[in-house]
Amino acid sequence: MDMSELTQSSAPRRFIGGQLLGSSQLVLGVILAVLCMAISIAAPQFYSEANIIAILRQCALVLIVASGMTMLIITAEVDLSVGASLAFVGCIGMAVLNSTHSLTLGLLAALAFAGAVGLFNGLVVTRLKVNSLIATIGTMMMLQGGVYLFTREAVQNHHRLASFTVLGAGYLGAIPLPVVVAALIFALAAATLRFTTLGRYLYAVGANERAVRLSGVRSQRLKLFAFVVTGLCVGVAGMILSSLMNAGQPTAGRGFELTVIAAVILGGTSLLGGRGSLLGTLLGVLVLKVIDNGIIILGWNQDLQMVVPGIVIILATYLDIVRNRANVG
Amino acid sequence: MSLASTDTMKAGPSMLARLVARQELALLLCLILVIAFFSFTAENFFSVRNITNVLGQASLALTAGIGCAIVFISGEVDISIGSLLATIALPLIIIMNDTNSLVLGISGALLFGLIIGVVNGYLTAYAGINSLIVTLGTMFIMRGGVYLYTGQRAIPDDAALDSFIALSDGRLFNVVPYSAVIAIVLLAVFAYVMQHRPFGRQIYAVGGNPEVARLAGYDVRRVKFTCFIISALLATVAGIILAARVGSAQHTAGLNFEFQVVAATVLGGVSLAGGIGSLTGMALGVLILQFLSNGLRGLGLPTEWQLVITGMIIIAAVAFDEAKRRRAIGG
Repeated sequence: MDMSELTQSSAPRRFIGGQLLGSSQLVLGVILAVLCMAISIAAPQFYSEANIIAILRQCALVLIVASGMTMLIITAEVDLSVGASLAFVGCIGMAVLNSTHSLTLGLLAALAFAGAVGLFNGLVVTRLKVNSLIATIGTMMMLQGGVYLFTREAVQNHHRLASFTVLGAGYLGAIPLPVVVAALIFALAAATLRFTTLGRYLYAVGANERAVRLSGVRSQRLKLFAFVVTGLCVGVAGMILSSLMNAGQPTAGRGFELTVIAAVILGGTSLLGGRGSLLGTLLGVLVLKVIDNGIIILGWNQDLQMVVPGIVIILATYLDIVRNRANVG
Repeated sequence: MSLASTDTMKAGPSMLARLVARQELALLLCLILVIAFFSFTAENFFSVRNITNVLGQASLALTAGIGCAIVFISGEVDISIGSLLATIALPLIIIMNDTNSLVLGISGALLFGLIIGVVNGYLTAYAGINSLIVTLGTMFIMRGGVYLYTGQRAIPDDAALDSFIALSDGRLFNVVPYSAVIAIVLLAVFAYVMQHRPFGRQIYAVGGNPEVARLAGYDVRRVKFTCFIISALLATVAGIILAARVGSAQHTAGLNFEFQVVAATVLGGVSLAGGIGSLTGMALGVLILQFLSNGLRGLGLPTEWQLVITGMIIIAAVAFDEAKRRRAIGG
């Protein structure tokens, strides 16, 4: 093979290879595939229909909230109050259902409450200029205290609405309803980020807010939008969760915010804003939940469910940095 | 100094106005207001016994808050301190149960704390991973590790050494709890270092503007690395005090502690952006929140209200601070 041929053939290949390897998604995809293979070799029941449906159902709640959170983190903000809000939403939704016996009103109440929490967070961050990490720690405390003031015990299901049970336990064909809902929200968010002007502006605000503001776009509105969307996602997830548990639990959702943020970060979305994708988030959620599932079906100590994700987040972020350095260098 | 303050000085230097402009003084005023309010409204609030009790309760957040503030000032965050409290209690209690030696137990705990600080610091400063992610990760790993090791059961302090128990209920001159004395001494030492020693100036420089700090010849990475070690060691001290207080190594020890400390630190005017704030401010922030929660309990309000009110105060305080800063810049 002569030199020119070699450079000619290798140059574009390196370009494409670099592009593919440059995406965190490919690495995550490989990690996911290796995980699935390793677990299924050790425990063949991993690929059983029941188990796959269980994994998907587990993913659904995280993915719903992570869809909003990805948008929010792309705008360089974060929301730590989603776990506390999730619990509160479930309690409020169930209480409204109990008193009105109307699924529509219950859902509306849940969405209104969660949307209002998002709006509050967004206004505090965009108008009062409070760092979102602090602002949402504040909201988290208020919601954690508030939910106990609202109810000291779980709000039980007294309305016995069949449609409410379907929300968490129902199926559309062979697919659990929560998974369908998650897929719809995911697709909507992904399309918004990828194909719309709004999506491009969300990236731009995260990458360089000043430039966006100077070019005449109301950057604060974009961030507010992302906060409200995150809130609404929590509303949906909260209702599904309370349907699955058949009660509104004030203690639900503890640590949920960290799982969601971990999945988003694992998916390659930068906490500094301006970079990330929903496909990455989807892979991040899948990796975390497949690990969770693997620990259970391999019969390992379930406390590992906290240790392994911790290691995975740090490792994945580190690999991302190493790869970026290699690309630059 | 900001433009606004030079203006006021020109317009006629009102001593009081300039002092109030100082964050610490505003915080001190808040603290006095809180104490005054509850002295009149809550029963048994304004007594030596209650106030020293509050100091003792505040000692955990004060001690860990020093580290939290230093890491903030260096431009990073450490949210692993809550899990650290539970982690270091294991070597502490286990070694004491085995050897009946407080010194060995504390040495073991400090060694563990040191290792955690080195890991956090190395991953942040040298591997270049965002500190929020690093400490979120180690927070998970440590809490999960404690659950794994203990099987989610508390390990009781069977040795029950007098010197260890004194850490929780002993009082200097029968007045000030030893835990508060430890916190105050550490606070004084680190406040001195931060304000008057080159290392303190380096931390402010690194957090304020890493590029300038690098050009000034500071080793930015080493400064940040050291800050994480300091934070972990101080959290270890807080963890030892907590273990003494509960008389065991609890797997749930320090849950949400990191959020309380972060909240108090930010309330004290230490900015997450780095380079801004003081340990005095942090200490006042901790005391305000501690007296507030003690006073609210004295009024008979359920603990849930304390959470709600604390959350509101944190948001309001940071918002107020931000508004003041923007006015000062001349926005």
